[in-house]
Amino acid sequence: MASAAAGAVAGAAAPFWRAAGMTYITYSNICASLLRSCLKEPYKADAASREKVHFAISKWAQGKPEKPVIRSDTPGE
Amino acid sequence: MAMAALRREGRRLLLSPIASNPSPAGRSAMLISPEQSAPIGLRSISTQVVRNRMKSVKNIQKITKAMKMVAASKLRAVQVRTENSRGLWQPFTALLGDTPSVDVKKNVIVTITSDKGLCGGINSTSVKVSKSLFKVTSGPEKETKYVILGEKGKVQLIRDSKGSIEMTVTELQKNPVNYTQISVLADDILKNVEFDALRIVFNKFHSVVAFIPTVSTVLSPEVVERESEAGGKLGDLDSYEIEGGETKSEVLQNLAEFQFSCVLYNAALENACSELGARMSAMDSSSRNAGEMLDRLTLSYNRTRQASITTELIEIISGASALTG
Repeated sequence: MASAAAGAVAGAAAPFWRAAGMTYITYSNICASLLRSCLKEPYKADAASREKVHFAISKWAQGKPEKPVIRSDTPGE
Repeated sequence: MAMAALRREGRRLLLSPIASNPSPAGRSAMLISPEQSAPIGLRSISTQVVRNRMKSVKNIQKITKAMKMVAASKLRAVQVRTENSRGLWQPFTALLGDTPSVDVKKNVIVTITSDKGLCGGINSTSVKVSKSLFKVTSGPEKETKYVILGEKGKVQLIRDSKGSIEMTVTELQKNPVNYTQISVLADDILKNVEFDALRIVFNKFHSVVAFIPTVSTVLSPEVVERESEAGGKLGDLDSYEIEGGETKSEVLQNLAEFQFSCVLYNAALENACSELGARMSAMDSSSRNAGEMLDRLTLSYNRTRQASITTELIEIISGASALTG
């Protein structure tokens, strides 16, 4: 596996994506979207529909919501 | 007796041109308002109001029936995906265990609710469970926060727990639930919220009429390591051989993140199923109630109609007998 190879090569250092600040989830999402883009045409459109992201997230500080950030269509970010 | 009441109303109409307050006859509010809507001096009782009411109730019944069908058809599709997604978290529970009784300092309660309403009581039960979980997990030196998914939960929790909300997420239901969306959300939560244990509150879908509020616990990697030192189920992790150059703590961290994402995905799907099932039964009982209301309205409409016909006949006959007699 890529992470194991990278781990073995780098010795005891963390895998490159962990060092770059990504979580395992982000890493697997990027791999998944790369895989989806390898598909041929009719399946590619089906897979793209499974990748749509849209939600509005807002952090709260001391009981007040801040302006919501809309994360839309950024799969595998 | 009914006729006497009607005659009384008719006479009152003649005597007081201004519409009077509800009479003590108290037959029904429906008779009072036709009095007020008819022009002065007219002695027929209008059935217009009752007819309008019947039309609107019938429309509502049609709409709720349609909503039930829509929910039923959507439910079938989501149910298949939910059952398939159950296989995602079962290996994790087998490996890492699901320990709701774990005692940690920082708890984060992730409440999954829906954005749309008209789905029965599932959102209220989720919020109730979250609030009691909050009480259970808070205490001296302990900190509990909420992360709320869905508009309905946000509205309910804003009312009394404003200060403990960490993040709210809405508009999640614009696209059908897919893993990418949930994992981006999980990533956001992981990056922005500090936690030792995450407790995900959702409605598990048992059947179309049974939705059980459930809590799934996901521990952060540090806590997993601590528990594994302490022995028990997690202590057996040492008996596994880890391949590659990663240390056990790295593997645990990856596993914990992935576990959170999978459990959240399954929870979102189960909640979506429960929401659709609850909406189906809510709309079903609502159409049944509308049907009953329609029956009652029809009866009273017919009574009013017959009463007005009888009144006219009486007037004609008494007029005729006054002429001849």
